[in-house]
Amino acid sequence: MPSNKLRVGGSAMAVLGVLGILVLHWMVFFWTPTEASMGIIQRIFYIHVPSAWVAFFAFGIVALCGAVYLWLGDERLDHAAASAAEGGMVFTTIVLLTGPLWGRIAWGTYWTWEPRLTLTLLLWFIYLGYFLVRSSTENPERGKRFSAVVGIVGALDIPLIHLSVLWFRSLHPTPVVVKPEGPTLHPDMLLTLAVGLISFTLLFLGVFLQRYTLAVATHLAAVREREARS
Amino acid sequence: MPSCKRLLRLGLLGLVALAVAVPTAAQEAAMPVTGLSGQSLRPYQFVFLAYALAWLLVLGWVVAVARRLARLERRLER
Repeated sequence: MPSNKLRVGGSAMAVLGVLGILVLHWMVFFWTPTEASMGIIQRIFYIHVPSAWVAFFAFGIVALCGAVYLWLGDERLDHAAASAAEGGMVFTTIVLLTGPLWGRIAWGTYWTWEPRLTLTLLLWFIYLGYFLVRSSTENPERGKRFSAVVGIVGALDIPLIHLSVLWFRSLHPTPVVVKPEGPTLHPDMLLTLAVGLISFTLLFLGVFLQRYTLAVATHLAAVREREARS
Repeated sequence: MPSCKRLLRLGLLGLVALAVAVPTAAQEAAMPVTGLSGQSLRPYQFVFLAYALAWLLVLGWVVAVARRLARLERRLER
């Protein structure tokens, strides 16, 4: 099996990520203070925000690898983009499921068609399109190129999602960490969020590396089988 | 492509959850935000549900990748 170093590195990162998430759970349920206005439901924040960050990070990888793939045509970049897109879909789905649960208590509704929520749902559909385009073309090479373009266009939605709460009147809260005057979160909440961000990123990178190794190995196996047949 | 199918299945599951949630929200009366003293057990259920869903999805992805890796290893051994 090729890329054994990547697999071992990926496994180590995933294990560290899981350990970090266990610490995060302890912090969320036993250590961090309860937010004054929303109460216990605000604790969804500590998985909602890291999931959103990982989703954006993953789709950033998709766009970057897609752009370089279109330029250089290196198969490995396409494998990396597809692997990141898979993880991005998983974490965007987490964002879209945990957000409404929080919103039901905080806003009184699961869903509202306000800009940030709508753009996040759009991002989910764009990346669903990414996979549909890949699998629906007769020529796999063309599918890869089309999906790279979808990945690049889809990533343009990410800054819009971030800025939408500042540009439009929105139910969704404005950023409490990334702002010019610095974070306005309680230091303990900020530390809990930081543990969540690091753990989720490690877990994503770990599974992403495994998924990338799988894609490369599957490709090599297919090439070897083709060569053996001819 | 089996990985694609699995991902689509996962995505559809998410959509179904959203589709179930939206009409329920419209039918139910809006719940006012209360202070800590006036909270019911409902927010706790929602918090646990959110964490459980997140774990399920991540676990699903990890298991899917692990199974595909194992299948490929068997294929390479043959």
